Amino acid sequence: MIVAKRKPFQEIKELISGYKKILIVGCGTCVAVCLAGGEKEVAILSAQLKIALRLEGKAVEIKEITIQRQCDREFLQELKRQVDVADFDVILSTACGAGVQLLSDVYSEKVVVPGLDTAFIGVAEGPGIWSERCRACNQCVLGLTGGICPVTMCAKGLPNGPCSGARNGKCEVDPEKDCAWVKIYERLERLGRLDQIKEIVPPRRYSVQQNPAIAIHEAYKRRFDKDGKNV
Amino acid sequence: MGKTFKEALASGKFVITANISSPKGVNVDSLINQVKFLKDLTDGLVVPDNLLATMTMSACAASRLVIENGVDPIMSLNCRDRNRIALASDLLGASLMDIKNILCVSGDHTKFGDHIDAKPVYDIDSVQLLGMARGLEKGRDISHNELNGYPQFCLGAVANPEADPLGPQLNKFDKKVQAGAEFFLTLPVFNIDNLKRFMEHARKSEVKILASIRVLVPEEVHKYADGSYPGLFVPEDVLEEIKDASIDKGIEVAGRLIRDIKDRNICDGINLMASGYEERIPDILKAGGI
Ligand code: SF4
Repeated sequence: MIVAKRKPFQEIKELISGYKKILIVGCGTCVAVCLAGGEKEVAILSAQLKIALRLEGKAVEIKEITIQRQCDREFLQELKRQVDVADFDVILSTACGAGVQLLSDVYSEKVVVPGLDTAFIGVAEGPGIWSERCRACNQCVLGLTGGICPVTMCAKGLPNGPCSGARNGKCEVDPEKDCAWVKIYERLERLGRLDQIKEIVPPRRYSVQQNPAIAIHEAYKRRFDKDGKNV
Repeated sequence: MGKTFKEALASGKFVITANISSPKGVNVDSLINQVKFLKDLTDGLVVPDNLLATMTMSACAASRLVIENGVDPIMSLNCRDRNRIALASDLLGASLMDIKNILCVSGDHTKFGDHIDAKPVYDIDSVQLLGMARGLEKGRDISHNELNGYPQFCLGAVANPEADPLGPQLNKFDKKVQAGAEFFLTLPVFNIDNLKRFMEHARKSEVKILASIRVLVPEEVHKYADGSYPGLFVPEDVLEEIKDASIDKGIEVAGRLIRDIKDRNICDGINLMASGYEERIPDILKAGGI
Protein backbone atom coordinates (compact mmCIF):
# COMPACT_ATOMS: atom_id res chain seq x y z
CA MET A 1 0.00 0.00 0.00
CA ILE A 2 0.94 3.65 -0.36
CA VAL A 3 1.70 5.37 2.92
CA ALA A 4 1.25 9.09 3.39
CA LYS A 5 0.96 11.56 6.23
CA ARG A 6 -0.98 14.75 6.55
CA LYS A 7 0.86 17.95 5.76
CA PRO A 8 1.36 20.37 8.66
CA PHE A 9 -1.89 22.24 9.28
CA GLN A 10 -0.28 25.62 8.66
CA GLU A 11 0.93 24.51 5.24
CA ILE A 12 -2.55 23.28 4.29
CA LYS A 13 -4.01 26.59 5.42
CA GLU A 14 -1.56 28.47 3.23
CA LEU A 15 -2.35 26.27 0.24
CA ILE A 16 -6.06 27.11 0.42
CA SER A 17 -5.65 30.69 1.55
CA GLY A 18 -7.71 33.20 -0.42
CA TYR A 19 -10.28 30.66 -1.59
CA LYS A 20 -13.86 30.93 -0.40
CA LYS A 21 -15.39 27.64 -1.48
CA ILE A 22 -13.30 24.64 -0.65
CA LEU A 23 -13.98 21.05 -1.58
CA ILE A 24 -12.02 18.48 0.41
CA VAL A 25 -11.82 15.15 -1.39
CA GLY A 26 -10.69 12.15 0.66
CA CYS A 27 -9.62 8.75 -0.63
CA GLY A 28 -10.95 5.52 0.86
CA THR A 29 -8.08 3.19 -0.04
CA CYS A 30 -4.40 3.29 1.03
CA VAL A 31 -4.45 6.67 2.74
CA ALA A 32 -7.58 5.69 4.66
CA VAL A 33 -5.81 2.56 5.94
CA CYS A 34 -2.80 4.60 7.04
CA LEU A 35 -5.10 7.09 8.78
CA ALA A 36 -3.99 10.06 6.71
CA GLY A 37 -6.66 10.92 4.14
CA GLY A 38 -9.77 8.75 4.53
CA GLU A 39 -13.27 9.77 5.51
CA LYS A 40 -12.48 10.29 9.20
CA GLU A 41 -9.35 12.29 8.56
CA VAL A 42 -11.18 14.46 6.04
CA ALA A 43 -13.88 15.18 8.65
CA ILE A 44 -11.24 16.16 11.21
CA LEU A 45 -9.34 18.34 8.74
CA SER A 46 -12.55 20.02 7.63
CA ALA A 47 -13.58 20.79 11.22
CA GLN A 48 -10.12 22.14 12.05
CA LEU A 49 -10.10 24.39 9.00
CA LYS A 50 -13.58 25.69 9.70
CA ILE A 51 -12.68 26.59 13.29
CA ALA A 52 -9.31 28.11 12.42
CA LEU A 53 -10.65 30.20 9.53
CA ARG A 54 -13.66 31.35 11.53
CA LEU A 55 -11.35 32.48 14.34
CA GLU A 56 -9.45 34.49 11.74
CA GLY A 57 -12.75 36.05 10.64
CA LYS A 58 -12.68 34.44 7.22
CA ALA A 59 -15.99 33.40 5.75
CA VAL A 60 -15.44 30.17 3.87
CA GLU A 61 -17.61 27.30 2.78
CA ILE A 62 -16.11 23.86 3.12
CA LYS A 63 -17.63 20.66 1.84
CA GLU A 64 -16.09 17.26 2.24
CA ILE A 65 -16.53 14.05 0.31
CA THR A 66 -14.58 10.81 0.26
CA ILE A 67 -14.57 8.52 -2.74
CA GLN A 68 -13.29 4.99 -2.73
CA ARG A 69 -10.26 5.48 -4.95
CA GLN A 70 -8.86 8.73 -6.31
CA CYS A 71 -6.23 7.08 -8.48
CA ASP A 72 -8.75 5.54 -10.87
CA ARG A 73 -10.73 7.48 -13.50
CA GLU A 74 -13.65 5.09 -13.11
CA PHE A 75 -13.98 5.90 -9.42
CA LEU A 76 -13.88 9.64 -10.08
CA GLN A 77 -17.30 9.27 -11.71
CA GLU A 78 -18.64 8.92 -8.18
CA LEU A 79 -17.35 12.38 -7.36
CA LYS A 80 -19.08 13.78 -10.44
CA ARG A 81 -22.37 12.14 -9.39
CA GLN A 82 -22.22 13.56 -5.88
CA VAL A 83 -21.02 17.14 -6.27
CA ASP A 84 -20.81 19.82 -8.86
CA VAL A 85 -17.15 20.66 -8.69
CA ALA A 86 -17.81 23.87 -10.62
CA ASP A 87 -19.34 25.28 -7.42
CA PHE A 88 -15.95 25.32 -5.70
CA ASP A 89 -12.86 27.52 -5.99
CA VAL A 90 -10.34 24.91 -4.91
CA ILE A 91 -10.10 21.17 -4.39
CA LEU A 92 -8.04 20.01 -1.42
CA SER A 93 -7.22 16.37 -2.05
CA THR A 94 -6.16 14.05 0.73
CA ALA A 95 -5.12 11.28 -1.66
CA CYS A 96 -1.57 10.20 -2.43
CA GLY A 97 0.31 12.15 -5.09
CA ALA A 98 -1.19 9.93 -7.80
CA GLY A 99 -4.73 10.74 -6.70
CA VAL A 100 -4.04 14.48 -6.50
CA GLN A 101 -2.69 14.44 -10.04
CA LEU A 102 -5.59 12.46 -11.46
CA LEU A 103 -8.01 14.97 -9.92
CA SER A 104 -5.97 17.78 -11.44
CA ASP A 105 -6.09 16.02 -14.76
CA VAL A 106 -9.83 15.43 -14.72
CA TYR A 107 -10.66 18.91 -13.36
CA SER A 108 -8.08 20.77 -15.36
CA GLU A 109 -9.86 24.11 -14.92
CA LYS A 110 -9.75 23.85 -11.12
CA VAL A 111 -7.00 24.50 -8.63
CA VAL A 112 -6.18 21.19 -6.92
CA VAL A 113 -3.85 21.19 -3.90
CA PRO A 114 -2.49 18.30 -1.82
CA GLY A 115 -3.32 17.78 1.84
CA LEU A 116 -0.82 14.96 2.31
CA ASP A 117 2.84 14.19 1.79
CA THR A 118 3.17 10.80 0.13
CA ALA A 119 5.93 8.88 1.85
CA PHE A 120 6.43 5.33 0.57
CA ILE A 121 5.15 1.93 -0.55
CA GLY A 122 5.02 -0.22 2.53
CA VAL A 123 3.25 -2.60 4.83
CA ALA A 124 1.16 -2.26 7.98
CA GLU A 125 3.27 -3.58 10.84
CA GLY A 126 0.51 -3.21 13.42
CA PRO A 127 -2.01 -0.62 14.52
CA GLY A 128 -0.67 2.83 13.61
CA ILE A 129 2.68 1.71 12.25
CA TRP A 130 3.80 1.21 8.67
CA SER A 131 7.20 0.49 7.20
CA GLU A 132 8.66 0.96 3.74
CA ARG A 133 9.28 -2.17 1.67
CA CYS A 134 9.44 -1.25 -2.01
CA ARG A 135 10.96 1.45 -4.23
CA ALA A 136 9.08 0.34 -7.33
CA CYS A 137 12.37 0.01 -9.22
CA ASN A 138 10.89 -2.14 -11.97
CA GLN A 139 13.64 -4.81 -11.69
CA CYS A 140 12.84 -6.89 -8.60
CA VAL A 141 15.76 -8.74 -6.99
CA LEU A 142 13.84 -10.27 -4.08
CA GLY A 143 14.23 -13.74 -5.63
CA LEU A 144 17.98 -13.54 -5.04
CA THR A 145 18.05 -11.70 -1.75
CA GLY A 146 15.92 -13.90 0.45
CA GLY A 147 12.79 -11.76 0.15
CA ILE A 148 14.50 -8.69 1.64
CA CYS A 149 14.96 -5.74 -0.68
CA PRO A 150 18.45 -4.18 -0.63
CA VAL A 151 17.28 -1.29 -2.79
CA THR A 152 14.74 -0.25 -0.16
CA MET A 153 15.95 -1.70 3.12
CA CYS A 154 19.65 -0.77 2.82
CA ALA A 155 20.10 2.94 3.50
CA LYS A 156 22.51 3.14 0.56
CA GLY A 157 20.60 0.70 -1.66
CA LEU A 158 23.80 -1.33 -2.12
CA PRO A 159 23.35 -4.23 -4.52
CA ASN A 160 26.39 -6.42 -3.75
CA GLY A 161 26.60 -6.67 0.02
CA PRO A 162 27.05 -4.52 3.09
CA CYS A 163 29.12 -1.42 3.56
CA SER A 164 31.70 -1.51 6.34
CA GLY A 165 29.57 0.20 8.91
CA ALA A 166 27.01 -2.31 10.19
CA ARG A 167 27.34 -2.43 13.96
CA ASN A 168 26.07 -5.53 15.77
CA GLY A 169 23.80 -6.18 12.84
CA LYS A 170 22.37 -2.64 12.90
CA CYS A 171 22.65 -0.04 10.14
CA GLU A 172 25.38 2.60 10.38
CA VAL A 173 22.93 5.22 9.20
CA ASP A 174 20.25 4.46 11.80
CA PRO A 175 21.20 2.14 14.65
CA GLU A 176 17.50 1.56 15.37
CA LYS A 177 17.21 -0.30 12.07
CA ASP A 178 18.62 -3.67 11.07
CA CYS A 179 21.35 -3.75 8.45
CA ALA A 180 19.52 -5.09 5.40
CA TRP A 181 22.58 -7.02 4.24
CA VAL A 182 23.08 -8.75 7.57
CA LYS A 183 19.40 -9.76 7.41
CA ILE A 184 19.75 -10.96 3.81
CA TYR A 185 22.86 -12.96 4.63
CA GLU A 186 21.34 -14.56 7.72
CA ARG A 187 18.11 -15.44 5.95
CA LEU A 188 19.93 -17.04 3.01
CA GLU A 189 22.26 -18.87 5.39
CA ARG A 190 19.23 -20.35 7.19
CA LEU A 191 17.74 -21.35 3.86
CA GLY A 192 21.03 -22.86 2.69
CA ARG A 193 21.05 -20.46 -0.29
CA LEU A 194 24.09 -18.25 0.29
CA ASP A 195 25.18 -19.23 -3.20
CA GLN A 196 22.59 -16.75 -4.47
CA ILE A 197 24.65 -13.77 -3.34
CA LYS A 198 28.08 -15.04 -4.35
CA GLU A 199 27.92 -13.69 -7.87
CA ILE A 200 28.52 -10.01 -8.58
CA VAL A 201 25.27 -8.23 -9.33
CA PRO A 202 25.67 -6.03 -12.43
CA PRO A 203 24.79 -2.32 -12.33
CA ARG A 204 21.10 -1.54 -12.20
CA ARG A 205 19.42 -0.61 -15.48
CA TYR A 206 17.88 2.75 -14.91
CA SER A 207 16.69 2.72 -18.51
CA VAL A 208 13.89 0.36 -17.46
CA GLN A 209 12.71 2.96 -15.00
CA GLN A 210 10.94 5.41 -17.27
CA ASN A 211 10.04 8.71 -15.76
CA PRO A 212 7.05 8.88 -15.77
CA ALA A 213 6.35 5.18 -16.20
CA ILE A 214 3.50 3.62 -18.14
CA ALA A 215 2.34 0.01 -17.80
CA ILE A 216 0.06 -1.53 -20.44
CA HIS A 217 -1.22 -5.06 -19.96
CA GLU A 218 -0.38 -7.47 -22.78
CA ALA A 219 -4.04 -8.02 -23.59
CA TYR A 220 -4.57 -4.28 -24.09
CA LYS A 221 -1.47 -3.46 -26.11
CA ARG A 222 -3.40 -3.20 -29.37
CA ARG A 223 -5.45 -0.34 -27.99
CA PHE A 224 -2.65 1.98 -26.90
CA ASP A 225 0.58 3.37 -28.23
CA LYS A 226 3.68 3.18 -26.03
CA ASP A 227 2.80 6.45 -24.33
CA GLY A 228 -0.63 5.16 -23.33
CA LYS A 229 -2.60 7.14 -25.92
CA ASN A 230 -5.58 5.44 -27.59
CA VAL A 231 -4.80 4.29 -31.12
CA MET B 1 59.14 10.34 -6.47
CA GLY B 2 60.89 7.16 -5.28
CA LYS B 3 59.16 3.80 -5.51
CA THR B 4 55.51 3.87 -6.46
CA PHE B 5 52.93 2.48 -4.08
CA LYS B 6 52.37 -0.46 -6.43
CA GLU B 7 56.10 -1.21 -6.47
CA ALA B 8 56.16 -1.05 -2.67
CA LEU B 9 53.28 -3.53 -2.51
CA ALA B 10 55.08 -5.87 -4.90
CA SER B 11 58.44 -5.58 -3.10
CA GLY B 12 57.29 -7.67 -0.15
CA LYS B 13 58.34 -4.99 2.33
CA PHE B 14 56.08 -3.96 5.22
CA VAL B 15 54.19 -1.15 3.48
CA ILE B 16 53.27 2.04 5.30
CA THR B 17 50.65 4.48 4.11
CA ALA B 18 48.84 7.29 5.88
CA ASN B 19 45.62 9.21 5.44
CA ILE B 20 45.92 12.91 4.84
CA SER B 21 43.16 15.49 5.02
CA SER B 22 42.05 17.66 2.11
CA PRO B 23 41.35 21.35 2.58
CA LYS B 24 37.88 22.75 2.81
CA GLY B 25 38.72 25.72 0.66
CA VAL B 26 41.53 26.51 -1.73
CA ASN B 27 44.27 27.06 0.78
CA VAL B 28 46.52 24.04 0.26
CA ASP B 29 49.33 25.01 2.67
CA SER B 30 48.36 22.40 5.25
CA LEU B 31 47.99 19.70 2.58
CA ILE B 32 51.44 20.44 1.17
CA ASN B 33 52.95 20.49 4.65
CA GLN B 34 51.44 17.10 5.46
CA VAL B 35 52.79 15.63 2.23
CA LYS B 36 56.30 17.03 2.74
CA PHE B 37 56.36 15.87 6.34
CA LEU B 38 55.20 12.32 5.53
CA LYS B 39 57.18 11.93 2.30
CA ASP B 40 60.05 9.87 3.66
CA LEU B 41 57.96 8.00 6.21
CA THR B 42 55.39 6.43 3.90
CA ASP B 43 54.98 4.49 0.66
CA GLY B 44 51.83 6.33 -0.33
CA LEU B 45 49.29 8.79 0.99
CA VAL B 46 45.56 8.18 1.01
CA VAL B 47 43.67 11.19 -0.30
CA PRO B 48 40.08 11.31 0.98
CA ASP B 49 37.08 11.90 -1.25
CA ASN B 50 34.71 14.08 0.76
CA LEU B 51 35.33 11.83 3.76
CA LEU B 52 32.38 11.40 6.11
CA ALA B 53 30.25 13.12 3.46
CA THR B 54 31.91 16.39 4.38
CA MET B 55 32.69 18.56 1.37
CA THR B 56 36.38 19.21 0.76
CA MET B 57 38.61 19.83 -2.26
CA SER B 58 38.34 17.33 -5.12
CA ALA B 59 40.36 14.18 -4.44
CA CYS B 60 41.68 14.31 -8.00
CA ALA B 61 43.14 17.81 -7.60
CA ALA B 62 44.52 17.05 -4.13
CA SER B 63 46.08 13.80 -5.41
CA ARG B 64 47.82 15.67 -8.20
CA LEU B 65 49.25 18.04 -5.62
CA VAL B 66 50.52 15.04 -3.66
CA ILE B 67 52.36 13.82 -6.77
CA GLU B 68 53.85 17.26 -7.35
CA ASN B 69 55.20 17.15 -3.83
CA GLY B 70 56.92 13.83 -4.34
CA VAL B 71 54.56 11.15 -3.01
CA ASP B 72 52.41 8.55 -4.77
CA PRO B 73 48.78 9.22 -3.85
CA ILE B 74 46.06 6.63 -3.27
CA MET B 75 43.01 8.50 -4.46
CA SER B 76 39.71 7.59 -2.83
CA LEU B 77 36.74 7.54 -5.19
CA ASN B 78 33.28 7.21 -3.71
CA CYS B 79 30.00 6.14 -5.29
CA ARG B 80 27.96 8.41 -3.06
CA ASP B 81 28.64 11.63 -4.96
CA ARG B 82 28.66 10.52 -8.60
CA ASN B 83 26.84 8.30 -11.04
CA ARG B 84 28.66 5.84 -13.30
CA ILE B 85 29.30 8.49 -15.96
CA ALA B 86 30.97 10.90 -13.56
CA LEU B 87 32.97 8.10 -11.90
CA ALA B 88 34.36 6.87 -15.21
CA SER B 89 35.07 10.39 -16.32
CA ASP B 90 36.99 11.06 -13.08
CA LEU B 91 38.91 7.82 -13.53
CA LEU B 92 40.06 8.93 -16.99
CA GLY B 93 40.95 12.34 -15.63
CA ALA B 94 42.91 10.80 -12.77
CA SER B 95 44.84 8.63 -15.20
CA LEU B 96 45.76 11.67 -17.27
CA MET B 97 47.17 13.30 -14.14
CA ASP B 98 49.24 10.19 -13.39
CA ILE B 99 47.10 9.14 -10.47
CA LYS B 100 47.20 5.35 -10.66
CA ASN B 101 46.15 4.09 -7.24
CA ILE B 102 42.41 4.27 -6.77
CA LEU B 103 40.63 3.28 -3.58
CA CYS B 104 37.10 2.35 -4.65
CA VAL B 105 34.55 2.92 -1.90
CA SER B 106 30.79 3.17 -1.60
CA GLY B 107 31.15 6.21 0.64
CA ASP B 108 29.81 7.22 4.04
CA HIS B 109 26.15 8.17 4.00
CA THR B 110 25.31 11.87 3.65
CA LYS B 111 23.73 11.70 7.11
CA PHE B 112 27.22 11.91 8.65
CA GLY B 113 28.38 14.96 6.79
CA ASP B 114 27.86 18.68 6.40
CA HIS B 115 25.37 18.46 3.51
CA ILE B 116 22.68 16.24 5.00
CA ASP B 117 20.08 17.25 2.41
CA ALA B 118 22.27 16.26 -0.54
CA LYS B 119 21.10 13.34 -2.65
CA PRO B 120 23.22 10.23 -1.99
CA VAL B 121 23.79 8.80 -5.48
CA TYR B 122 24.95 5.16 -5.14
CA ASP B 123 24.16 4.54 -8.81
CA ILE B 124 26.75 1.74 -8.74
CA ASP B 125 28.55 0.30 -5.70
CA SER B 126 32.22 -0.25 -4.89
CA VAL B 127 32.23 -3.74 -6.43
CA GLN B 128 30.80 -2.45 -9.69
CA LEU B 129 33.17 0.54 -9.61
CA LEU B 130 36.14 -1.83 -9.41
CA GLY B 131 34.74 -3.79 -12.34
CA MET B 132 34.14 -0.61 -14.29
CA ALA B 133 37.72 0.60 -13.73
CA ARG B 134 39.08 -2.78 -14.91
CA GLY B 135 36.84 -2.44 -17.95
CA LEU B 136 38.32 0.97 -18.76
CA GLU B 137 41.77 -0.62 -18.67
CA LYS B 138 40.58 -3.00 -21.36
CA GLY B 139 39.30 -0.12 -23.46
CA ARG B 140 35.57 -0.28 -22.72
CA ASP B 141 33.33 1.85 -20.55
CA ILE B 142 30.60 0.28 -18.40
CA SER B 143 28.11 0.53 -21.27
CA HIS B 144 30.59 -1.27 -23.57
CA ASN B 145 31.51 1.80 -25.62
CA GLU B 146 35.06 1.87 -26.92
CA LEU B 147 37.71 4.21 -25.47
CA ASN B 148 40.35 6.13 -27.33
CA GLY B 149 43.42 5.36 -25.20
CA TYR B 150 43.30 3.11 -22.14
CA PRO B 151 44.18 3.98 -18.53
CA GLN B 152 46.09 1.73 -16.14
CA PHE B 153 45.30 1.55 -12.44
CA CYS B 154 46.32 -0.08 -9.19
CA LEU B 155 42.90 -0.70 -7.66
CA GLY B 156 42.06 -1.01 -4.01
CA ALA B 157 39.04 -1.38 -1.79
CA VAL B 158 38.13 -1.38 1.89
CA ALA B 159 36.91 -4.11 4.25
CA ASN B 160 36.14 -4.21 7.95
CA PRO B 161 37.68 -7.06 9.96
CA GLU B 162 35.82 -5.81 13.03
CA ALA B 163 32.42 -6.29 11.34
CA ASP B 164 29.96 -8.27 13.39
CA PRO B 165 28.77 -10.56 11.90
CA LEU B 166 31.80 -11.09 9.66
CA GLY B 167 30.18 -13.42 7.08
CA PRO B 168 28.45 -10.73 4.97
CA GLN B 169 31.66 -8.66 4.99
CA LEU B 170 33.75 -11.59 3.75
CA ASN B 171 31.23 -12.30 1.01
CA LYS B 172 31.61 -8.74 -0.21
CA PHE B 173 35.40 -8.95 0.16
CA ASP B 174 35.35 -11.91 -2.24
CA LYS B 175 33.29 -9.96 -4.73
CA LYS B 176 35.72 -7.05 -4.59
CA VAL B 177 38.63 -9.39 -5.24
CA GLN B 178 36.73 -10.97 -8.11
CA ALA B 179 35.95 -7.51 -9.51
CA GLY B 180 39.64 -6.60 -9.59
CA ALA B 181 40.84 -5.21 -6.24
CA GLU B 182 44.57 -5.80 -5.81
CA PHE B 183 44.95 -4.22 -2.39
CA PHE B 184 42.73 -3.56 0.59
CA LEU B 185 42.86 -0.99 3.32
CA THR B 186 40.92 -2.24 6.31
CA LEU B 187 38.74 -0.07 8.48
CA PRO B 188 40.53 0.67 11.77
CA VAL B 189 41.40 -2.51 13.64
CA PHE B 190 41.70 -2.94 17.39
CA ASN B 191 41.22 -6.62 18.05
CA ILE B 192 44.06 -8.77 16.73
CA ASP B 193 41.96 -11.95 16.94
CA ASN B 194 39.34 -10.38 14.70
CA LEU B 195 42.04 -9.28 12.29
CA LYS B 196 43.55 -12.77 12.22
CA ARG B 197 40.13 -14.30 11.55
CA PHE B 198 39.70 -11.88 8.66
CA MET B 199 43.21 -12.55 7.34
CA GLU B 200 42.67 -16.32 7.33
CA HIS B 201 40.00 -15.65 4.74
CA ALA B 202 41.86 -12.86 2.92
CA ARG B 203 44.97 -14.99 2.49
CA LYS B 204 43.04 -17.33 0.23
CA SER B 205 43.58 -14.67 -2.43
CA GLU B 206 46.68 -12.88 -3.64
CA VAL B 207 45.58 -9.39 -2.64
CA LYS B 208 47.69 -7.21 -0.35
CA ILE B 209 46.13 -6.16 2.93
CA LEU B 210 47.09 -3.06 4.87
CA ALA B 211 45.55 -2.83 8.34
CA SER B 212 44.37 0.64 9.24
CA ILE B 213 45.56 1.89 12.58
CA ARG B 214 43.65 4.82 13.94
CA VAL B 215 45.12 6.95 16.65
CA LEU B 216 42.37 7.39 19.22
CA VAL B 217 41.96 10.82 20.71
CA PRO B 218 40.79 10.74 24.35
CA GLU B 219 38.53 13.79 23.86
CA GLU B 220 36.58 11.84 21.24
CA VAL B 221 35.77 8.77 23.34
CA HIS B 222 32.04 9.54 23.42
CA LYS B 223 31.98 9.77 19.61
CA TYR B 224 33.73 6.42 19.26
CA ALA B 225 31.09 4.86 21.49
CA ASP B 226 27.98 6.39 19.91
CA GLY B 227 28.55 5.47 16.26
CA SER B 228 29.46 8.98 15.05
CA TYR B 229 32.22 7.42 12.94
CA PRO B 230 30.78 4.77 10.63
CA GLY B 231 32.77 1.55 10.61
CA LEU B 232 34.82 2.46 13.67
CA PHE B 233 34.24 -0.11 16.40
CA VAL B 234 36.44 0.52 19.41
CA PRO B 235 36.23 -2.22 22.07
CA GLU B 236 35.15 -1.25 25.60
CA ASP B 237 38.53 -2.04 27.18
CA VAL B 238 40.35 0.22 24.71
CA LEU B 239 37.86 3.03 25.32
CA GLU B 240 38.43 2.57 29.04
CA GLU B 241 42.20 2.68 28.51
CA ILE B 242 42.27 5.96 26.62
CA LYS B 243 39.50 7.92 28.29
CA ASP B 244 40.83 10.68 30.52
CA ALA B 245 44.35 9.98 29.21
CA SER B 246 46.47 12.16 26.92
CA ILE B 247 47.08 11.66 23.19
CA ASP B 248 50.25 9.78 24.16
CA LYS B 249 48.03 6.94 25.34
CA GLY B 250 46.34 6.85 21.91
CA ILE B 251 49.80 6.66 20.34
CA GLU B 252 50.81 3.87 22.72
CA VAL B 253 47.70 1.83 21.83
CA ALA B 254 48.38 2.37 18.09
CA GLY B 255 52.01 1.41 18.55
CA ARG B 256 51.06 -1.81 20.36
CA LEU B 257 48.79 -2.82 17.47
CA ILE B 258 51.44 -2.02 14.85
CA ARG B 259 54.03 -4.07 16.73
CA ASP B 260 51.64 -7.03 16.96
CA ILE B 261 50.77 -6.88 13.27
CA LYS B 262 54.35 -6.48 12.11
CA ASP B 263 56.07 -8.91 14.47
CA ARG B 264 53.48 -11.62 13.88
CA ASN B 265 53.47 -10.95 10.16
CA ILE B 266 49.68 -10.69 10.10
CA CYS B 267 49.27 -8.18 7.25
CA ASP B 268 51.31 -6.72 4.40
CA GLY B 269 51.51 -3.33 5.99
CA ILE B 270 49.60 -0.61 7.77
CA ASN B 271 47.66 2.49 6.91
CA LEU B 272 47.88 5.20 9.56
CA MET B 273 44.92 7.36 10.43
CA ALA B 274 46.04 10.18 12.65
CA SER B 275 43.76 12.99 11.67
CA GLY B 276 44.89 16.21 13.32
CA TYR B 277 47.99 14.47 14.71
CA GLU B 278 49.91 13.81 11.51
CA GLU B 279 52.98 15.42 13.09
CA ARG B 280 53.02 12.58 15.63
CA ILE B 281 53.28 9.87 12.95
CA PRO B 282 57.05 9.44 13.59
CA ASP B 283 56.21 8.78 17.27
CA ILE B 284 53.50 6.30 16.30
CA LEU B 285 55.90 4.39 14.06
CA LYS B 286 58.54 4.43 16.77
CA ALA B 287 55.99 3.10 19.28
CA GLY B 288 55.26 0.36 16.76
CA GLY B 289 58.93 -0.57 16.51
CA ILE B 290 59.38 0.88 13.01
S1 SF4 C 1 24.83 -0.75 7.44
FE1 SF4 C 1 23.80 -2.22 6.13
S2 SF4 C 1 21.80 -1.32 5.69
FE2 SF4 C 1 23.07 0.31 6.54
S3 SF4 C 1 23.94 1.32 4.73
FE3 SF4 C 1 25.43 -0.22 5.36
S4 SF4 C 1 24.89 -2.06 4.20
FE4 SF4 C 1 23.16 -0.66 4.03
